[in-house]
Amino acid sequence: MSYAGKSVKRLYDDKFVTGRSTYVDDIKVNSLYATFVRSNVAHGVIKRMHKEDALKMRGVVAVFTGEELNQLIKGGIGPWTTYIDPRPWKIPLWRFAQGETKYNGEPVAMVVAQDKYTARDAAETVNVDIEPLEAVIDMEEAKKDKVLVHKELGTNLGYVGDFNAGDAEKALSNADRRVEVEIANNRLIPSPMEPRGIVSQYDGANLTIWYSTQIPHFARAEFSRIFNIPESRIRVIMPDVGGGFGSKAHILPEELAVIAASIRLGKTVRWTATRTEEMIATNSRHNVFRGEIGFKNDGTLVAIKGTLDVELGAYLTYTEGLQPTIIPPMIPGPYRVRDLAIRSRAIYTNTIPITMYRGASRPEATFIIERIMSTVADELKMDDVEVRMRNLVREDQMPYTNPFGLKYDTGDYPTLLKEGVKVLEYNKLKEWAESERKKGKKVGVGLAYYLEICGFGPYEYSETRVNEDGSVIVAIGGTPHGQGTETAIAQLVADELQIPIERIKVTWGDSEAIPAGTGTYGSRTLAIAGSAAMASSRQALEKMKRVAARSMKADVEEIEYRNGEFVHKKEGKKMSWDAVAREAYSGKEPGVSASVTLEGDVTFPYGVHVAVVEVDDYGIARVKEYRAYDDIGRVINPALAEGQVHGGGTQAVGQALYELAIINENGQLAVTYADYFVPTAVEAPRFKSYFAEKYHPSAYLTKSKGVGEASLIVGPAAIVRAIEDATGKRFNKTPVTPEDILK
Amino acid sequence: MQVEPGQRVRIRVKVNGVYYEDEVEPRKLLVDFLRENLNLTGTKIGCDTSTCGACTVLLNGKSVKSCTVLAVQADGKEITTIEGLSSDSKLSPVQQAFKDNFALQCGFCTAGMIVQAHYILSEKREMTEEEVRDMIHGNICRCTGYQNIVNAILDASRRMRA
Ligand code: FES
Ligand code: FES
Repeated sequence: MSYAGKSVKRLYDDKFVTGRSTYVDDIKVNSLYATFVRSNVAHGVIKRMHKEDALKMRGVVAVFTGEELNQLIKGGIGPWTTYIDPRPWKIPLWRFAQGETKYNGEPVAMVVAQDKYTARDAAETVNVDIEPLEAVIDMEEAKKDKVLVHKELGTNLGYVGDFNAGDAEKALSNADRRVEVEIANNRLIPSPMEPRGIVSQYDGANLTIWYSTQIPHFARAEFSRIFNIPESRIRVIMPDVGGGFGSKAHILPEELAVIAASIRLGKTVRWTATRTEEMIATNSRHNVFRGEIGFKNDGTLVAIKGTLDVELGAYLTYTEGLQPTIIPPMIPGPYRVRDLAIRSRAIYTNTIPITMYRGASRPEATFIIERIMSTVADELKMDDVEVRMRNLVREDQMPYTNPFGLKYDTGDYPTLLKEGVKVLEYNKLKEWAESERKKGKKVGVGLAYYLEICGFGPYEYSETRVNEDGSVIVAIGGTPHGQGTETAIAQLVADELQIPIERIKVTWGDSEAIPAGTGTYGSRTLAIAGSAAMASSRQALEKMKRVAARSMKADVEEIEYRNGEFVHKKEGKKMSWDAVAREAYSGKEPGVSASVTLEGDVTFPYGVHVAVVEVDDYGIARVKEYRAYDDIGRVINPALAEGQVHGGGTQAVGQALYELAIINENGQLAVTYADYFVPTAVEAPRFKSYFAEKYHPSAYLTKSKGVGEASLIVGPAAIVRAIEDATGKRFNKTPVTPEDILK
Repeated sequence: MQVEPGQRVRIRVKVNGVYYEDEVEPRKLLVDFLRENLNLTGTKIGCDTSTCGACTVLLNGKSVKSCTVLAVQADGKEITTIEGLSSDSKLSPVQQAFKDNFALQCGFCTAGMIVQAHYILSEKREMTEEEVRDMIHGNICRCTGYQNIVNAILDASRRMRA
């Protein structure tokens, strides 16, 4: 009996297909409803609040200003110091807007009322006088420091760091060829289908918070710090969460305001973002790399020199600090180039603060290096595969320490490329596209390669508990919210314990039921939480063995466990799993449970993806096919892994072709799905997803690496390359719009 | 119909086979009526521009986005929500096919998708992949990339014809 490696069906689908799921807005508790009055200027002084009309309305409980809320909101938001060293940063205090507003859409007042309709009506009657100040919306303008987002910082540059390896200048001057490059990713909106939401209940002593989040434990720690309440008195519960993609690994002022209001009023207060609010709440990406590359006539890339500018928006969110520090060291990617000089800058603007989105910094790094590879190929009229082959780190160099000190653990990059080209029928597709083009059709095929860093530590928690009836509860610190990792983890545990998977329940997301946890993000959960679950299950099994030994009056070494049976090797006596479980609760030291807090460190999956694109006479591009060949380490559940490739791949289609957060000169974001175009079933491509048969394991017990972000990391580069193939034009940014294509 | 501000209107609807009567504000959206008054939270709200389809229900057998219909407009009509598609805890062929084809991830779009799938299969049993994609064009899924959803609907149509 073995579950790992099989496409076991997801264990907890019934509630979703029958309408019994419980997202935060579905929770039925007696509660007041909050809504927000938002700034309509990008920068301004908040003068006066007219709340009298609102307070006269039936059902309106309170209208709060920033001054009032911030009496409770003591600490500021971000950055996430587990991953971000705050020392080189210039960080403004970020609480509920008070005194000044820094971006269009920022909440400046809060209305609390009996119900949603009343709250929204009341919010419309609250007038806030805001005296506009000069604002800086454009990142290029902001760099000049003529208009400052935060006067107290003295500059808009939140971070400047130099990433130097080897001698880029010398390598450039020795290169056969030098070419200038400019590569950009524009602003996106992660847009999970469930808008964010929170319910906060304060009973005078304890806070209970239901929260659409990816990080319940970290949220608890932050709420504790911000409100100065001990963690022991805060319980954060993550109900079903309708997608996050990184955007729900953040805490925002709206959510702090809801908690503050619940404490102040002594009532339960809730807020569910409208789609408009969700779009304003979390934006992502926007960065530009400008520089020069040097290469040899044989296609060997020898140097990269340039400046990376990353937009921050008005404040430093929990994770945006990652981008300027992870993109540069990941720019070499899977290639051998060792001479690099990258200045990385992060820039405040009077716009919606930037949070992370699936891939966070690896998509940017990959887009940059893959555009560079394609540029080299074009300049030398070489084939895309050949150029990459010439530059990939070879197997005999593994484990490879990249020029910035990142240690690539395992893999055979050239072999994967060779296999991938074959399996994905890249050459055949290229020939087909060429013959179609001769017939007048604008079709093209693009390929891109990626190396990903994932499986981030520092740790993950798991407890395995064997109940009296022999069923098992696995409580994990990871927080799946759609990926299906709970099923994969149940598979691993079922294999460890050699019991049917139906007897295992995986649970997560309640800071009181799960003593510790880090969360689900960065393609880490199966590797780190899965390994923790294996480790705690192994320990639980050891305890079961000891109970069996005690009961059969044997030494534990004499007990063998196989397929649900404990066997006394010498005497041939047997005890079933269930009998031992029951026994465990009747003797001394009753109960069987084991918990581990497993440390872990990063691992590096990699792969090659191919896109087929068709462009019509109006310049509208469609991705017809998307094919992926990945080495993600051991694959525990192929169907779940494929699901990640499909989902990320469709988001890649969005990023490459359709999705662009449009911010006008007043800093106002266009906030409907008519302006921000998320792919539907019509725009989504057909997928073929394959995993390397001879995989390269990570150091984790699961031997898995990670796949959650792969397609969004590499997809945009593959798709843009395909558009180039189709049109014969060159593009160095996402999205590539019909206007760009027709230009 | 003329109503004074703040006045409520009495409506009678049949939802998933059960009659309900209630007084509602004339502006109350059907989706809010279902979720708040009847506690049928299976139907979700994903947008405020009637674009996402998370709120899809059947109104007299036709699929509608319940965020674009007022509760009062449903007066006297019959509504089926996701909660009404399985009987005696037996999953419908569409629900079963969604499970079997890994057609959901976070599950937030799932109710709307499944109701829409029921609708299109009630109109037409046999469909091409292209047709299915067209018919779910008004339902956004941010997680699955749609392929498994399309496969599930095609699978359900085969099961229903068998
Ligand atoms: S909630 Fe009705 S279409 Fe989005
Ligand atoms: S499964 Fe998450 S939106 Fe469709």
